[in-house]
Amino acid sequence: MSVIETRDLVVARGGKTVLRGVTFAVAPGDGIALVGPNAAGKSTLLRALAGLLPAEAGEVRLKGEVLPRWERGALARAVALVSSEDDSSGAFTVAERVALGRYPHRGPFLPLTAADDAAVERALAHTGIEPLGGRRLETLSAGERQLAALARGLAQEPEVLLLDEPSAHLDVGHQLQLFRVLDEARARGVAVIAVVHDLQRAAAWAGRMVLLADGAVVGEGAPADVLAAAAAADAFGVRIHAHAVPGLPHPLYSFSEPTR
Amino acid sequence: MALLALAAALPLVIVGAFALGSVRLPLGGIVDVLASRLGLVAARPLDPTTETILWVVRVPRVLLAAMVGGGLAVVGAVLQAVFRNPIADSGLLGVSSGAALGAVLAVKLGLATTIFFALPLAAFAGAMAAVALVYALAHSLGRATLHGLLLTGLTISALASAVTSMLLVATEEYRVKVVLFWLAGGLDGRSWPHVQAAVLLILPAAALLAVFARPLDVLSLGDEEAASLGVRVHLTRLGLLALASLITGTATAIAGSVPFVGLIAPHALRPLVGSLARYLLPASFLGGAILVVIADLAARTLNEQMDLPLGSLTALVGAPYFLVALRGSERRA
Repeated sequence: MSVIETRDLVVARGGKTVLRGVTFAVAPGDGIALVGPNAAGKSTLLRALAGLLPAEAGEVRLKGEVLPRWERGALARAVALVSSEDDSSGAFTVAERVALGRYPHRGPFLPLTAADDAAVERALAHTGIEPLGGRRLETLSAGERQLAALARGLAQEPEVLLLDEPSAHLDVGHQLQLFRVLDEARARGVAVIAVVHDLQRAAAWAGRMVLLADGAVVGEGAPADVLAAAAAADAFGVRIHAHAVPGLPHPLYSFSEPTR
Repeated sequence: MALLALAAALPLVIVGAFALGSVRLPLGGIVDVLASRLGLVAARPLDPTTETILWVVRVPRVLLAAMVGGGLAVVGAVLQAVFRNPIADSGLLGVSSGAALGAVLAVKLGLATTIFFALPLAAFAGAMAAVALVYALAHSLGRATLHGLLLTGLTISALASAVTSMLLVATEEYRVKVVLFWLAGGLDGRSWPHVQAAVLLILPAAALLAVFARPLDVLSLGDEEAASLGVRVHLTRLGLLALASLITGTATAIAGSVPFVGLIAPHALRPLVGSLARYLLPASFLGGAILVVIADLAARTLNEQMDLPLGSLTALVGAPYFLVALRGSERRA
């Protein structure tokens, strides 16, 4: 039973068709790494799943209901999008920013309840940024701001968590922490779909990998299988080498330019 | 805490501004006049001079200073959140230059001297026309992005200023002076009808902005994040900007150009009350009100021969303050 799925989804952005018929389904607790070369349509797919971009054709169904039928607030309670770009002016404190994740639950006028405060505290605790709660965002490093953005998404308590390049600004320690946090969310039944550029990292984390190229799904399944297929090498225009390492559950990957 | 302190300080500053001026009024006399005007029984017979100076001249002027200052400060705080830029101000949307063009037109056509209230009405119309034009153009270029709004606002501002200058050059000298006085900003000679306009337009609009504090906070996270949190981004922004323009248009029509209030008040208060609009907007209103009441007091008392232009005073104080604050934030970054 899937929580969110697309069928023959076609999405245009700026007058140009970016997704040309994407079909895939995600179940609660799934961890999906969305990979693909630049301009493959990964970010566009995330935004379409979040209801920010309309379907030109095909559909996105959330819990069986097509997205346009969802009321805005209910949709925002069910689906959270965390982007790697933090557009805010940085004048808010971390705790204030994370608390804005409760907006879909309380709306424009109702004051936050004890349950909201608890959700905010849990989000801060899960991401390990409680000590930064009172700090203004503009005083933080890019990585810390990214964790604050993730905490906002967690505070939203969604059923589907969409992440665009969540580890872009993180050092290796924070990357491990981030993916552990995502796994903890999955254990609570949250479906996590993350655009990950680092194929090594994606393969190590994801339960399933979806490979996009030129606006279509060209590979889907266990990361090792997806990366072993010719489609992956074709999509990135490289040769992909898998190296089995004794004691590691997944192969290590190296890449080379194709020989001419 | 800071909010309470500001709320307590504003009435004190206002009463102080009632008492001080070219003629000092005794506090007891002020209480008597206010009490009798508010329908309470006066303890003593009223002193007619005190009554005239206070009720006809000072009370409307001080109340206007408070509402204009408070309104402009709230607008500053709102625009800074909407544009996610700490130096956004009401000049951005073409309001000020549109108001100036309207005022000059009224003077040029001779309306200002023949019809009471024609100049502020024309200024208000000019401000609203400029904003409407900015919206319409930004929308016709596609969806009204922040960038589109900013660039269109700057363009319309420049255009309006150019037309204003051309009109001024072609206007008789004695009429130019009327415009210059108005452009320099001031509350000299403003009376109860102006107060009514401010009470009817500035106060409700500022209160509405405060009511929409949380959507404003979410909007300041960026369009995409706001949309993903369930905010109708374009509609909310349009509503907030329309209210901000209404306040600025009214304030400018009443007091001419009073620059820097919208920059200084929120900037000085953020470290005290934080950036959440729920606290920052009321604090900015109170802070901006205090600032302009004091600036207007200075404008009418520093020079005994004549009033100094209020707008020039706020700029003279505001510009150096802002430069110092900017240096501070550059050093921290």
